Amino acid sequence: MKIRASKAERLADEELMPRIGEKDPDAFEVFYDRHGGVAFSLAYRIVGERGAAEDVVQEAFISIWRSGARYDRARGSVRSWMLGIVRNRAIDFLRSKAGRAPKLDFDDDAALEHRPAAELTDAEALRRETTHELRGALGELPGEQSKVIELAYFGGFSHSEIAKMLDVPLGTVKGRMRLGLEKIRGELAGGLA
Amino acid sequence: MNETEHDRRRDDIAAYLLGALEPGEAAELERHIAGCAECEEELRRLRPAVQVLPETVEKVEAPAALRIRLIEQVRSEAGSQAAPEVRGAPRWRFGLRPLAGFATVAILLAAIAGYAIRDSGSGGGGPKTTTVVSGHSPGVTAEMVREGETGTLRLANLHQLPAGKVLQAWVQRGKQVVSAKALFVPNPDGTATATIDGMDGVNTVMVTAEPRGGSAQPTGAPIVSVAIPQ
Repeated sequence: MKIRASKAERLADEELMPRIGEKDPDAFEVFYDRHGGVAFSLAYRIVGERGAAEDVVQEAFISIWRSGARYDRARGSVRSWMLGIVRNRAIDFLRSKAGRAPKLDFDDDAALEHRPAAELTDAEALRRETTHELRGALGELPGEQSKVIELAYFGGFSHSEIAKMLDVPLGTVKGRMRLGLEKIRGELAGGLA
Repeated sequence: MNETEHDRRRDDIAAYLLGALEPGEAAELERHIAGCAECEEELRRLRPAVQVLPETVEKVEAPAALRIRLIEQVRSEAGSQAAPEVRGAPRWRFGLRPLAGFATVAILLAAIAGYAIRDSGSGGGGPKTTTVVSGHSPGVTAEMVREGETGTLRLANLHQLPAGKVLQAWVQRGKQVVSAKALFVPNPDGTATATIDGMDGVNTVMVTAEPRGGSAQPTGAPIVSVAIPQ
């Protein structure tokens, strides 16, 4: 049975997923409107190109549309599940680009400054400030920890690749990852969650 | 498992959650976790720290055309020709449709209430097709008139824009969205008109609110989006 978009808007994500599994486009539309923005932001952060980010998000959401019933509540929230799909698609894209230079620029503001002026709108400038606040948990980490986390999560590098890149032992890389995640977890437990 | 071994597993779990283990290592760890309650709990405990990472990225506005493509594809696959229903309005047929409003502009909703296609024939001076797509809602009324290669978009009941903002028209051909080189602002009575040249191949005309001077690409969701019958 199809539901009207207005009704779908009142459903929780977990309730939308079965509807999407039943191929209800209204449910999908509500789902995209809720999460398409963060999905695109994540894809853009990883691939660094708007066109490629669009392709990544389109592929990810179509895969969700075609397999929405596969969502498993036991693996976390719908949003986290969706972002995991987007992240994996974006990393696949990076890896498919042979010879691509590693993303080692951790300064998003610097990256933004290099974007065409027309893309940097007033609204974006405002969002920058908000994002700085949201970024606290990661920003507070020691550089050596945030670097390995960013290289792994946003760069798609394996721990052995990161070890070579930074010229440190494998165990050191994994240890820094754990310490960094422990600190983020601690921040979350302290009230950021 | 001794303490040293357990520490190694804990490090592996962090790398696993970050997607940094090699496939073989990940599979081996998954097998271990399936039989180790302690490591399973560690996985569960650390997972939120990874799940928050995508929420920390700089927010970038998703292109309006992406949403349009996705919804069109989904509706096509669903076998539905109908568009989303808006506040009790009849289902739209030719795609005048509302989208999320620009952050600093009041959300304008348009729902198709009627449409007409009038073909004025192709005699005389060559092909000249006039197409009218129109609709209205409590929010805004839009009418798209196409005469040959030229389109005229008439909007009514528009809210006034914040300082420094203008309306910008866009045309979509296939997946490509380009500026229609039409910047305009609402008249005091809430009406606005934009002339759009080069309508050949255009499947959608959109209007967004942009910074004065216009943008190279849409920076926000369309205020209205009009699908052009082919």
